[in-house]
Amino acid sequence: MPFPTPRQADPAPFSRGREADTDKPAILKIVIAGGFGVGKTTLVRAVSEIEPLTTEEYLTQASAPTDKLHGVEAKDTTTVAFDFGRFSLDMPLPLELFLFGTPGQDRFVDLWYDLSHGAIGAVVLADTRRLEASFTAVSFFERIGLPFIVAVNQFDGAHRYPEADIRDALDLPAVIPVLFCDARVTTSVAGVLLTLIDQALSQASTRPAHTTLQDA
Amino acid sequence: MNSRHPQAFLAADAAGDESSVVRNYTLTAGRTRPRYTLSLDSVLETGPGRPGPALPEECVRIVSLCQQRRRSVTELAGTLGRPVSVVRILISDLLDAHALRVPATTTAPSADPTRQLLEALSAGLKARWPDAVSYAQAG
Ligand SMILES: Nc1nc2c(ncn2[C@@H]2O[C@H](COP(=O)(O)OP(=O)(O)OP(=O)(O)O)[C@@H](O)[C@H]2O)c(=O)[nH]1
Ligand SMILES: [Mg+2]
Repeated sequence: MPFPTPRQADPAPFSRGREADTDKPAILKIVIAGGFGVGKTTLVRAVSEIEPLTTEEYLTQASAPTDKLHGVEAKDTTTVAFDFGRFSLDMPLPLELFLFGTPGQDRFVDLWYDLSHGAIGAVVLADTRRLEASFTAVSFFERIGLPFIVAVNQFDGAHRYPEADIRDALDLPAVIPVLFCDARVTTSVAGVLLTLIDQALSQASTRPAHTTLQDA
Repeated sequence: MNSRHPQAFLAADAAGDESSVVRNYTLTAGRTRPRYTLSLDSVLETGPGRPGPALPEECVRIVSLCQQRRRSVTELAGTLGRPVSVVRILISDLLDAHALRVPATTTAPSADPTRQLLEALSAGLKARWPDAVSYAQAG
């Protein structure tokens, strides 16, 4: 038997008319994606002012089509975890940056949409030993039109491939920056974020407004 | 929106640990949907109200976390160690009690941040970490 459609949630009530709010920092958001174990949590930790949090969410997914006869799509509920970190800046403007790390498994695309909503862009972390693990992330951000860059996390002992090989393997257009980083090192990660911001700025001037996730 | 939210997120397989499933069920009094739309990065600050005496201790904790500074839905859920779906319902109760509120100005991440904001973020990062270089400049 189908469930009744629940009432749509109301928009959260805003508090109004308080002047003091205008000097609160603006919030910006960046998504850190990439395959399983590429160093996403490590990267968030390198710049976050809080120890990265592991936040859980429930997701339902259609499971194997077992119950077609009864017209009920079988659903599995699973728990998925993602990272959260943040830091604040006060010069030249008060700003707060939220970092959301996607779950490593790429079957949770629904959650990726939520994480990416309103983000200024995404960093796709890659490990040269398993480049294919970051391929889904690359195609996802291409598809939704979110500015992104590829940061290759140089693990000790990993072979250092030339940038051209990495571009080839990930099928990256020339406009997407590829850089090498060490996810454990704060200045290296800050450089990754700067590169992404430059990329977002260069795309902001070419893409029409409101092409991103506004209504996804 | 939120069509993916499970009808019955409290299905026994939702979390491996049965006692946390029971606790999540108790916390929300069996509800599976929040009254208000709250995104993962909606931020909350405290309001003039107080959480009612009937609300669980997790609500008191949320309010005291937001007293220290405004916090995102994701940060609150991660700090409490409760799933976002559950925490959204608790936050909705606290919004109804005016114990929390959503700041009035555009504090949520915007899908089209202005150049000015992006440039400010870039300048702020460089000021904080002067040794950091953008790939565009480096190479
Ligand atoms: N040598 C080296 N080790 C790293 C680097 N980055 C991460 N690691 C290590 O690699 C392991 C995996 O890193 P995580 O940051 O947990 O990776 P993740 O992408 O969050 O992994 P999942 O969340 O499981 O997908 C950890 O043991 C890290 O300490 C790096 O740049 N160099
Ligand atoms: Mg991780």
